[in-house]
Amino acid sequence: MQYAAYVLIQLLVIIMLAPLLDGIIRKIKAFSQKRTGIPLLQVYYDLLKLLRKTSVVSEESTWVYKIAPYIVFSTSIAAALLVPVTTKIMPGTLPGDIILLISILGLGRFFTMLAALDTASMFGGMGSSREAMVSILIEPSVLVSLFMVGLISKSTSLPQIMQAMKGIGAPLTYPVFVMIFLAFLIIIIAESSRIPVDDPSTHLELTMVHEAMMLEYSGRHLAIMELGAMIKQLVLITLLVNILIPHDQLIAVTGIGALVVSIFIYVAKVITVTIIIAIAEVCTVKLRFFSIPNLATLSFILLFLGFLQYFILGGSNV
Amino acid sequence: MRALNKKLVELFPKDIYNSIFNGSNELYLEVNSREILKICTYVDTELGCPLVSMFANDERQLHHKFAVYYVFADKNRSGLLTLKTMVSEEEMTIQSICNEIPAAALYEREIKDLFGIIPKGHPALKELIFHGNWPEGKYPLRKDFDTRKKVHMINKKKEFVEVKGEGVYEIPVGPVHAGIIEPGHFRFSVAGEPILHLEAQLHYVHKGIEKMCEGESIEKCLYISERISGDESFTNSLAYCQAVEKIVGVNVPTRAKYIRVVFAELERLTSHLGDLGGICLDVAYGFGAFQFRAMRAWAYLIADELCGMRFLRSVNRLGGVRKDFIVGKEKSLIEQLNKIRTELKDTAGILKAHSLFIDRVENTGVLSAGIAADLNAVGPPGRASGRHYDVRKSYPYEAYTDLDFDISEHNNGDVNCRVNVKIEECFESIDLIINAIEAMPEGKVREKTDSVEPHRFAFGITEAPRGENIHWVMTGEDNTVFRYKIRTPSFCNWPALCHAVKGNIVPDFPLINKSFNLSYAGNDL
Repeated sequence: MQYAAYVLIQLLVIIMLAPLLDGIIRKIKAFSQKRTGIPLLQVYYDLLKLLRKTSVVSEESTWVYKIAPYIVFSTSIAAALLVPVTTKIMPGTLPGDIILLISILGLGRFFTMLAALDTASMFGGMGSSREAMVSILIEPSVLVSLFMVGLISKSTSLPQIMQAMKGIGAPLTYPVFVMIFLAFLIIIIAESSRIPVDDPSTHLELTMVHEAMMLEYSGRHLAIMELGAMIKQLVLITLLVNILIPHDQLIAVTGIGALVVSIFIYVAKVITVTIIIAIAEVCTVKLRFFSIPNLATLSFILLFLGFLQYFILGGSNV
Repeated sequence: MRALNKKLVELFPKDIYNSIFNGSNELYLEVNSREILKICTYVDTELGCPLVSMFANDERQLHHKFAVYYVFADKNRSGLLTLKTMVSEEEMTIQSICNEIPAAALYEREIKDLFGIIPKGHPALKELIFHGNWPEGKYPLRKDFDTRKKVHMINKKKEFVEVKGEGVYEIPVGPVHAGIIEPGHFRFSVAGEPILHLEAQLHYVHKGIEKMCEGESIEKCLYISERISGDESFTNSLAYCQAVEKIVGVNVPTRAKYIRVVFAELERLTSHLGDLGGICLDVAYGFGAFQFRAMRAWAYLIADELCGMRFLRSVNRLGGVRKDFIVGKEKSLIEQLNKIRTELKDTAGILKAHSLFIDRVENTGVLSAGIAADLNAVGPPGRASGRHYDVRKSYPYEAYTDLDFDISEHNNGDVNCRVNVKIEECFESIDLIINAIEAMPEGKVREKTDSVEPHRFAFGITEAPRGENIHWVMTGEDNTVFRYKIRTPSFCNWPALCHAVKGNIVPDFPLINKSFNLSYAGNDL
């Protein structure tokens, strides 16, 4: 029973919230450019419109191309189920841990890349090779950041990590977690193809990374692919805010009220991080493609400094 | 020019048959076709006059021969030196000069496609205008080619330069692109991301403008010249007007000359602001992009207020301008320009202080000074590569003789230099417009033009937003145009772009391309 309720709440919150983040980022960018911008909910309308349209499928493509959107979507959903939005309703144990989470997201990416290669279009191949490069560069940071959190909380299971963080209270008052927070922000930007790594709104096919892989998709397939990517972005943000900024220990009320309050605080945290990402997008320009390793290095160095700080200087205080 | 003529005649007494002076700054020498390579090389290398245009003309009605014109710019004397050779119908070949003068390569291919005159010794005689679908033996710019008859297209294999080696592959892009831009096919040979070679196949929007103008009245050709390329309407029609006004011998009233400067600079301002916005957008710098777009919109509003047309069509008339567009609007004009200048100053300051932006544009797409000189790169890309040349200074026309202005010069040849040239020229354009409005004398704005004599010819040369723009008009019977050769700056700069991208990575190509801002319509004609 609790399991069913958990799954229901997880899916409802994540799927409903994911497109809103894109809307918020676009709105903030529009304000920085003295424009009113598109309505906040336009992303939802676009998705609904695309869902109603038929997909045009290239005759040269194989089954990989057709099943890829569903795999990408299901892996995103599976990942979403692994990262609780609140600890107020959570089954005692969740199957899987952070290693599974990374692998599931990796599977989705693998099929996105395969599908882009499958159409044999020039840009799909270019997008795949670039995506592979970006993901290889950022993967070490993802692993190290999550393992460090796991090391500190002595578990790789997300519910247990979250419980441990609740015990710490306010992790961001410790330098090691600040480092992890900053490093993970870079990871989110790279993983969700945002400026300065990629430009989600460009029309220039030669500069695209993620968009180049989506270029052949249309209609329902495109909607599912895009929603999958948005959910992935939200899962990563959820991971960040719920591990490093735990909030459930602050809620005094109990029962259904606590659940509602907890979800509201969660949404507020997500929107705050989204605004930070949007500001980063406004202030930076797209990096030269071969400068992306520098960004990945920066994220890794932050983690390494945090690591040193934790083990050499003040680890036992945490 | 007389001294130049004397010098050349002394050097090549046997090979120069005839000299014609046309006005104060045009010298035509009829030369022996066998010695053309020798004379061209001398003019280009020894005299330092670059080849700026080259075209053929079907003059069989006049003397049963084709003529090929080689135009060199003598920048120090503000003159144009044109060598003319005759090609008989039996022969139909010329000696290729492109091994000595690389800038000639494209012109020779163009002449081969449109006239069937084969340049002997040309190393890469690929079709330029047509893409393997045009039947042999049909040459559109010959007078006996009937445009009303439908041509049956053929289908030949298209050939591109192949780069071989391990891991080298080709990326074909276009002719239809993801954005709403003009068509052009780019074939990159890359090893991973770095570009080894780029071949641009253009002329997808070849409309036959030069052929269309032949036999049309000189007034109608003005109308066509405004429509060569959408964002260069004014400068193209100005070059045409200059050529025809020179043939007719009409003196344009001073006030009209000033009004023409105002519009020419307004066109440059809008064009450069649009480019700068595009460059910002290509590096995903949204703030900068929309700042420049807003400023361009203000400039468009000025144009709209002045003449009711944002793209400045129907402003020029033969002998002046259509009406007095400026009178009564001086104050609001200066006010709006000052507003643009303030905003531009702020935005340029932010842009130049943005280290990530500078990192993107610095050392990207370097056009070396040597290649710029060989290919005769003109306009902002030329000036960013150390070519201190601006038609407004070297060939002063209209009221530029009386106005004081500087031309910017940078030497590194990268995107950053082109951005800086464009920003500086924006400020210069605003100042020029304000100075022109203040210095503008009263008076009429148009002189009536008489009918033209047949078979007279002249050049019109202007500095378009994209660079040096050379038009050549030869009149026919009954007030018509016999031959209209248009050479827009884009024609010179496209090959330069292909060199500038070498060694850069594929994702940087759109940025480099944008910084050159080349016109497809103006190139394809």
